[in-house]
Amino acid sequence: MNFDWNVIWTHRGALWDGALMTVGLTVLTMLLAVPGGILLALMRLSSNKMLSSASLAFVEFFRNLPLILVIYWAFYVMPIAFDVQFSALTTALVALVLNVSAYNAETFRAGINSIRKGQMEAALAMGMSRRQAMFKVVIPQAARRILPVLASTWISLFKDTSLVSVIAVSELAYTSMQIRAQTFRVLEMLTAMAALYWLMGYPQAKLVDWIHKKYGVKE
Amino acid sequence: MDVDFSPIIENWRFFAGGLGVTVLLSVISAVTSILSGLVIALLRLYGPRWLSTVLVFYVDTMRAIPILVVLVWIYFAFPLLAGVTFPPFWAALVGLTLHIAAYASEIIRAGIESIRPGQTRAGLALGMSRAQILRKIILPQATIRMLPAFGSVLTMAIKDTAIATVIAVPELMHRAETVAGQSYRPVEVFTTVMVLYFLVLFPVTRIVDRMYQKLAHLGRS
Amino acid sequence: MTSATQQGNGATATAAPRKGADQPPVLVYENVRKMYGDFVALNGVSLQVNKGEVMCLIGPSGSGKSTLLRCTNALETLNGGRVLLDGIPLPTRETEVRKVRQRMGMVFQSFELFPHKTALDNVAMGPITVLGMSEADARKRAMVLLEKVGLESKAGNFPANLSGGQQQRVAIARALAMEPEVMLFDEPTSALDPETVGEVLNVMKKLAQEGMTMIVVTHEMSFAQRVANWVVVFENGAILEEGPPAQIFENPTVARTRDFLGHLGWNG
Repeated sequence: MNFDWNVIWTHRGALWDGALMTVGLTVLTMLLAVPGGILLALMRLSSNKMLSSASLAFVEFFRNLPLILVIYWAFYVMPIAFDVQFSALTTALVALVLNVSAYNAETFRAGINSIRKGQMEAALAMGMSRRQAMFKVVIPQAARRILPVLASTWISLFKDTSLVSVIAVSELAYTSMQIRAQTFRVLEMLTAMAALYWLMGYPQAKLVDWIHKKYGVKE
Repeated sequence: MDVDFSPIIENWRFFAGGLGVTVLLSVISAVTSILSGLVIALLRLYGPRWLSTVLVFYVDTMRAIPILVVLVWIYFAFPLLAGVTFPPFWAALVGLTLHIAAYASEIIRAGIESIRPGQTRAGLALGMSRAQILRKIILPQATIRMLPAFGSVLTMAIKDTAIATVIAVPELMHRAETVAGQSYRPVEVFTTVMVLYFLVLFPVTRIVDRMYQKLAHLGRS
Repeated sequence: MTSATQQGNGATATAAPRKGADQPPVLVYENVRKMYGDFVALNGVSLQVNKGEVMCLIGPSGSGKSTLLRCTNALETLNGGRVLLDGIPLPTRETEVRKVRQRMGMVFQSFELFPHKTALDNVAMGPITVLGMSEADARKRAMVLLEKVGLESKAGNFPANLSGGQQQRVAIARALAMEPEVMLFDEPTSALDPETVGEVLNVMKKLAQEGMTMIVVTHEMSFAQRVANWVVVFENGAILEEGPPAQIFENPTVARTRDFLGHLGWNG
């Protein structure tokens, strides 16, 4: 069995584009999923029963489904539901954003709830509105606890972008596997794919560790 | 929009078979992952320095590489290297275990380290050996604290088995794709499968949540 | 402090009128009821707080004293009865409740300083956020108050770098920054080391001498005896007895008051 590792170098352009797409998807998803998660968390924490239940249902829905299924489902249902043809990229983004927003919602909610009730009471006792108390006292403290969890979610998201390859979005996994199909260089391309993910993911994992250490809860 | 669920009803046995494979693969990989994770954690905590470094590298690698990539590599690339082929189910089992065991080992390591050193000292003072202390004092306490996290390992395994569809494991996701492709009724098929996955996962996540609540007071302070 | 003269068996009459009795009371509690599920925390409590009075609420844990305090600034809602501030019942709409809360200051057992702000910024926070004061003015006021509680040198410290007693003194300054008419203290020294209890009680004594209306839930009996103008004994969500400290501590009319004080090892 002979291996031609040159094929990786030959296709470096496509692989680079794939890697960029992976990173781009991760960044864009998180940019949308953080406000999404905040919105859902606020809905859940509000005293309005309808908003609270809607948020709970949304979060439970996505916590209990495999992402790859959500991606497929979005791919088939979105054109029918909205009577518009969406690009695979848009579909992928929608599925990813909805999924990560649900997880972020839980993260934000748990973070806010972890702040002692007394802090809210002290702020209210001064005459602050609930809103002021939230934004000036509770959230700044919760942010410290939320950041490490958000960092872990980021890494999961980075890996999950590989799943959108199943609907032919040209991120790293899809691109690598396309090249494999074209060149029949299975071992080389699949190893290259793994290596490229590793090169991007390993430093991120170490960064997440650092964040956990720096912002770890020392109650 | 016309709705036709007949392809699902006609093929219910096909789906049931897929669901069975999903459950089987999930449970087995959860168990193998936790057991492997235990071995890895113990080797990291009590083994030689060099082994610890290697294992840390392995754990961090699994945090960096998507499970999809691991599964695909084991099924398609490994045979070319080693000359042996894996049937899809076993390739998936190995891949899932490899990936999830890393996560499990971190849970176990954190669980063991969360037991106060005073407990070990008390055991030593009584004249127990390190192995006895581990078995009789540390692991029992740590296991209770880690139970909710193990539940999360199970939910992780269940969701990850769906990814095994890309290496043609005949689990539920794969069966759904087959029927959807043949019947041209993807919306009905995938919606049904969504409900099925939800029905499997929801009880597990509920139990995990309850366990976290009940054991919260035992968590590290 | 005027002392009680005993007449007959158990009944007492004060030699001088209760402090602030010449003016309408600041706070009136009318038949206040509060329940948590089936548990009755306050069982129709009626009480009056006069202007400039230092009132101490004492009693066993769970007897309702903290609950009454928290009903005063609407941190708890009532299940029955009313609380009147200057003759007006507490409002229910949040925007109006906030205005009422600005007129009262509260000090918590667990201090509840905001850990992400310095001592100075903690004290300035109320005026800036609630009163809309400029940062510069608020900080000036905060500095004056920190001097008052003896902590001007710690203005730039974060709560994590302050002892318990220091944190509580900052908390008192923070409450005073809103220029309240009434100060509510919820077991202010219960979470403190014995050495630091004194520094907080001294600040409270100074406040009392300046004529602040104070309601203090406390277990510090010597403080109650020496600084309070009026002592209220709680048991099981109701008032057991109330009167000037001399009556409560030296000649209580109700036997169970004697029991409670005896349990605390109080020899009077």
